[in-house]
Amino acid sequence: MDRQEAIEFLVDHYENPRNKGEIEHPDVNLSGGNPGCADVITMQARFNPEGKLEEVAWHGEGCTISQAAASYVSELVQGMTPEEIEEMSFEDLMDQLGRELVMTRPTCATLALGTLKRGVHEFVMKQKAKQSDIA
Amino acid sequence: MAGSETSTGYAHPEVLVETDWVADHLHDADIRLIEADEDVLLYELGHIPGAVKLDWHVDVQDKYSRDFIDQQGFEQLMSRWGITNDTTIVLYGDKNNWYACYAFWLFSMYGHARMKVMNGGRAKWEAEHRPMTREVPHYEPTRYKAQPMDESARAFRDEVLLGLKNPGRRLIDVRSPQEYSGELIHMVNYPQEGAQRGGHIPGAKNIPWATAANPDGTFKSAEELRQIYGSNDVTPDKEVVTYCRIGERSAHTWFVLTKLLGYPRVRNYDGSWTEWGNLVRSPIEK
Repeated sequence: MDRQEAIEFLVDHYENPRNKGEIEHPDVNLSGGNPGCADVITMQARFNPEGKLEEVAWHGEGCTISQAAASYVSELVQGMTPEEIEEMSFEDLMDQLGRELVMTRPTCATLALGTLKRGVHEFVMKQKAKQSDIA
Repeated sequence: MAGSETSTGYAHPEVLVETDWVADHLHDADIRLIEADEDVLLYELGHIPGAVKLDWHVDVQDKYSRDFIDQQGFEQLMSRWGITNDTTIVLYGDKNNWYACYAFWLFSMYGHARMKVMNGGRAKWEAEHRPMTREVPHYEPTRYKAQPMDESARAFRDEVLLGLKNPGRRLIDVRSPQEYSGELIHMVNYPQEGAQRGGHIPGAKNIPWATAANPDGTFKSAEELRQIYGSNDVTPDKEVVTYCRIGERSAHTWFVLTKLLGYPRVRNYDGSWTEWGNLVRSPIEK
C-alpha cells in the first residue's frame, strides 16, 4: 500500500466508520484517551458462548487517524477470541494502517486497539475470578 | 492587491490575507492556494477549491539526509503545482497555520517573493461554511527558477552553541512547558523521536508557539504579540533564535516575529531538540 492508497484507506474508514455506535449487554465497555489530546474512544465487545467475538462497537471523538483506526480495528477483531485480541500486535496494526503515514501519530493509531485490549484483559480476569469462585 | 491586507498593526501586513479575500480570488490564475496540514488526511476530506496539497513528510524533505529538498527539488515542486516565479502563493492549513508558516519559512529561503498566509487557516474557512471540494486540481507544469537557499533565516547547532554567552541573543523554546522542563522529550501524543536527554538549551525562554494565536486560529494583534515577546525580553534589537522539536512549531514563531512584528534578526534552528538533545556534551538546563 503506497502513501496515497493508505490515505484513501484511512479516509474511507473515517468517513464510513464501521461498527460505530453502541451494543447491548457488552462484556467489554471501556473508554480510553490520550492525555493532553482530544482523542477519546470507547470500545465495547460481547462474546458468544463459544468464546468468540459476537459483536463489537466503538464511539468517540478525536483526530482523523484515531477514528479511522478504531473503525479498522472493529473489523479486524471480528470472530476473535479474547486471547487472540490480547495477543494482537500494535506493530502489526501500524503496518496495516500504513506505517509511513501513521508513524507520526502512533498513540492515535493504537488508541482503539489498546483500549480494547485493556477491556478484554479485564473481562478475562473477571471470568477467571468467577470460575475460581465456582470451583 | 488592494484590500488583501489586515489592519492590525503588523509590520508586514501584506503577508496575511483574510478568508473573504481568498474567497474573492478563488478563480484568479495568478494565485495558487497551498494547503499544508499537520493532519495528513484533511486535504482528502475536502479543501478549498483549487488548492494543492503540501504533504510535509514527502514534499519538502530530503529522502536521505536530514535536510530539506534542494534548489532543484524546490523548482520541481513549484513546477508540479503550476507555480511561476510571479505566482502569489497563499498558504493555509490546520492548527493555527502551523505547517503553513513552516512552508512560508522554507519557501522564503528559496526566494519566492509573493507569499501570503490565510489568517485563521482551514478551521476559520470551515467555520464560515465556505466552499470545500474533494477535486484535486491539475496544473500545467511551469519553468520555475528558484534562488540558491538563503540560509540567513536558518540557525545551525554550532551557531547556537557559539551564541550561548552572547548577551544580545535570545533563544525561544516554543515547545510545551512539559518539554521545556524535560518532563517530556516529545509532544503529548507524538512519538519519541530519539532525543536522549530532556530539558532546554541554556538560557532559552519558554514561549509556546500557539501563544501567538487566538482561539479561532487567527494571529493575535501586533500589540498583544509585542506584549507576549517583549515581556520575555525578546525585543527587536536582539538577535533571536527559535527552536522546538524538529523546527516546525518554531517556524510559526519565526513567522510571527519576522513578518508580523518586523524583528530583523530571527533564525529558526530546525535541528531543534531532536539534534540538541542527542549531542554529546551539549549543555542542557532543566
